[in-house]
Amino acid sequence: MLLLLLLALLTVITVFSFVIARFAGRATGWPLAAMLALLTLLVLVRGPDLWNGGPALEASVPWMPSLGVGLNLRMDGLAWLFCVLVLGVGALVMAYSARYFPPGRRTGFYTLMSAFALAMTGLVLADDLVLLFVFWELTTICSFYLIGLSGPAAARPAVRTFLLTALGGLALLAAVVLLWVRTGTTRISVILDDPTWTQDTGFATLVAALVVVAVFTKSAQFPFHYWLPDAMAASTPVSAYLHAAAMVKAGVYLAMRFSPAFADNAFWGTTLIVFGLTTALIGALFALRRHDLKELTAYSTVSQLGFLIAVIGVGTPQALIAAAAHTLAHALFKVTLFMAVGVIDNRTGTRDLRRLGGLARTMPVTAAVTALAALSMAGVPPLLGFVSKENVFEALLHTTHQPWIGPFAAIAAVLAAALTVAYSFRFVYGTFWGAQRRDPATERPREAGALLLFAPVVTASAGLILGLSVPLLDPMIERAAADATHADAEAHLALWHGLNPALGMSALALILGALLIRVSSAGERLAERRFPPVRGTAVFERIHSVVIALGVRVGDPTRTDAPTRHLAVPFVLIIVFASVMAVVGPGHGPPAGPTSRALDWLPLVLITAAVLTAVVTRSRMAALALIGLSGFATAVWFVFLGAIDVALTQLLVEILTVVVAVLVLRRLPTEFHRARPSRAVATAAIAIPAGVAAGAGAYFLTGRREPSAVSEHLLENAVQDTGGTNVVNTVLVDYRALDTLGELTVLGVAGLIIIAVLHSAGLTAMGGTRPSASHTNPIWDADDNTVIMRTVARVLIPLLMVWSVYLLMRGHNAPGGGFIAGLVGGSAFALAYLSASSASVARIRLAYPAIIAAGILVALVCGLLGFADGSFLRPLHADIALPWGGHYHFTTALVFDVGVYLTVVGVMLTALNQLGLPKGPGPEADEQDVPESIRHESATGGTR
Amino acid sequence: MTLAITIGVLTAGAVYLILQRGMVRIVLGFVLLSHAVNLLLMSAGGVFHRGEPLLDRGVGEPLADPLPQAFVLTAIVIAFSITIYMLTLAATGKGDDTEDDS
Repeated sequence: MLLLLLLALLTVITVFSFVIARFAGRATGWPLAAMLALLTLLVLVRGPDLWNGGPALEASVPWMPSLGVGLNLRMDGLAWLFCVLVLGVGALVMAYSARYFPPGRRTGFYTLMSAFALAMTGLVLADDLVLLFVFWELTTICSFYLIGLSGPAAARPAVRTFLLTALGGLALLAAVVLLWVRTGTTRISVILDDPTWTQDTGFATLVAALVVVAVFTKSAQFPFHYWLPDAMAASTPVSAYLHAAAMVKAGVYLAMRFSPAFADNAFWGTTLIVFGLTTALIGALFALRRHDLKELTAYSTVSQLGFLIAVIGVGTPQALIAAAAHTLAHALFKVTLFMAVGVIDNRTGTRDLRRLGGLARTMPVTAAVTALAALSMAGVPPLLGFVSKENVFEALLHTTHQPWIGPFAAIAAVLAAALTVAYSFRFVYGTFWGAQRRDPATERPREAGALLLFAPVVTASAGLILGLSVPLLDPMIERAAADATHADAEAHLALWHGLNPALGMSALALILGALLIRVSSAGERLAERRFPPVRGTAVFERIHSVVIALGVRVGDPTRTDAPTRHLAVPFVLIIVFASVMAVVGPGHGPPAGPTSRALDWLPLVLITAAVLTAVVTRSRMAALALIGLSGFATAVWFVFLGAIDVALTQLLVEILTVVVAVLVLRRLPTEFHRARPSRAVATAAIAIPAGVAAGAGAYFLTGRREPSAVSEHLLENAVQDTGGTNVVNTVLVDYRALDTLGELTVLGVAGLIIIAVLHSAGLTAMGGTRPSASHTNPIWDADDNTVIMRTVARVLIPLLMVWSVYLLMRGHNAPGGGFIAGLVGGSAFALAYLSASSASVARIRLAYPAIIAAGILVALVCGLLGFADGSFLRPLHADIALPWGGHYHFTTALVFDVGVYLTVVGVMLTALNQLGLPKGPGPEADEQDVPESIRHESATGGTR
Repeated sequence: MTLAITIGVLTAGAVYLILQRGMVRIVLGFVLLSHAVNLLLMSAGGVFHRGEPLLDRGVGEPLADPLPQAFVLTAIVIAFSITIYMLTLAATGKGDDTEDDS
């Protein structure tokens, strides 16, 4: 319960921070710190139970039950340790932020920091691979925004950080998928105990490699180390959290979590130790060369993480004890140092060592706090850092993977530790003692307020107190290490273990460090040297631009506006695919019945004739008419195939398509472009094989089986299920009403797009397309010219409207329904439009967008009514007794069909009005030429 | 067989028109292509049973598969809306040439 409560509360805190930060400004940090502290306390009190061997806390909520993925949470000793760090450090950083920032709104910062705490807590508590991955990516996203928050200069570092850690995320995803497929479960605790790890070394190594990439990118290990100093662009509290408890610790956690699986894997151990120590060395070396305190501290994080990763690679319980202890120690001293950097920056306005010095006199508390943290980092007794680092030495010395690694690791670790001593000294001495520089900006800085210093004082003294009372940590570290190795661990943390190699190494590191300080004058000499030869960020940018250039090259062939290039590709591919299938494809059975009847040749011949002439004609009108003819022939085909509803729809659509197309053609030249013979040949060379492929495919791949089970089911149950006898209509409005709703929406959107396109192109006006007839010509006078048509229309339009309503009502049982009825209704309007004698009377004054919207709304509401019977779009039935006897079977499917009807009519009206009617100056100018009398008549004529 | 030939003829004509440079021809090509695809859907249901799936008409011929019919019915309407949309696009700009002369 606690675990779910934790995540729920953190979610609430995130939302809460967003709301409160809008008016509380920087002070939002206080309530957030209080809430995170409360959560820390909730977690802390569960500690003793775990240390005494109590079972891990578990909680589970189904998330994707069909996949077996759940919100499975588990808090064992390891998760507990990280949870305390994430929440505790989070609380302190929040408290620090409340004073660190200048007054003002910090909504983004506080919300993202809360979300970060949520993501990290979820990550360490997740006992489900998918969940782990989701939280892992969430930390990536949070860090991206937190870094990017600092302004334009931070944009590029944020992107670099994101791309690099997202790369690690992809590796983790691959590992997740592999593990899921292999073990059939997503429970991490189950997967870690799977026998696969020892049985299949190849698989284990593959997964180990992927996890290594994820860990190295997240924890900034060589050669991915550069993103962490790069991310310094973020504000100091963000860095403090990122470096001490979040983000980079996610990689450490993942490595520790997967330790039991890879403990015996040589690749895992060797890679972690070699790369970890390399990182520790170069990180420390770079840190020593920095002038910027924040950069120095950032490289020190890289170096310390190297120690952690290396010791996790050792994999023994002793090593994991060292790792757990050092994780804690590092969190405490690193968050202190960052906060101290923030304080110094805040007070003096600079973080540059060349401009700092002698601050101890005026800022004694900051100096003391920083010194404590730095001493812990350098591994000086009696601080916690000394104990943990000594354990790291001890563990590295007893590496079991390869005989040669032990000594190598020991030497590298001592060297890195010596460098650590040197850069720790550089930080503290250079800032607080050293020569006071004559710089007006840093002349007389004052000590920071108690509220700002509160958090660093807590963490720094924690490092001292825990160091002095270090045996108290034994049960906690033991439990964490035991859960990280799935083996018994016995911790004996102490300041004094007697004379042993590790103590010697510690001493050696301090002595070497002191020498180094003297030789390099605390790093100053090193800072002058030009080193290293390449910068990580430069390499990244190089690779990045090469990838982009490659993408451009790949995309080049499609970078054209000519549609032919794009359209030809699928056709050619289909031909290739069909050819391959014809040669190697599977065999096919005989047709399940006769496939031809004598009458079929009628539409076939009609279509062939229409298509052949349509492709060669250059007259647009002729082509349109011929295409229309092929549409009618297709409708005949539907009739022959027993699809009477489809045939009716096809017929009506064909009429309306031609009407709309004519409206468009008025705006265009009367003839098509002349096609070059070479182009005609080339397109025919694609078109004919495509036709052959389509025909052969249709013949050989369809009609080779008995009627489908769905067909039988529909024909047998339609009446019983829906009360309708027209099965096609019942499919549309009952069985597959959701599809129909989707299609309605597409239809409606098409109508709106037409309005939008014409409006934005400013094309509602059209000029110069009046028939080229003189005023004396009888056809000039539209009013007389349309008299027959208007006479017919006057009778026909009401008939069409009544008929369309009739078709709508009977659709459930006989040919008809919303689509057909809507098209008939649309035809009525088209007739009204065509027979009108002038633009001013042709306009159909109906709010057609509203009709479209009403149609979709009616269908939607009808769908919602279905919830009364359990699900969306389920039709409701009622038998209404009629006064003259009998009863009428009413179903909401009819209401749904009304929605269909309205939408179709609305779209038709849109097309007619938008494409047909000229607006703007063009036509009015035309009407100037029309004799006065005619203009008067036409204004009152038309649909009189 | 006849239906398959029809589909082939329609497809060939459609592809030819779609690969021309005028937008209106491309649109007309798409109209033909939608006919071909609709007939292909009908063909998938089988062409040997051709009775109209109206259950109150008494039993004559075995009834055709209603499912592809429903699909085709909506497909026709969708194709119609796309056609008028593409025609609208053809009407924007001067002429309907889709390629630069070069």
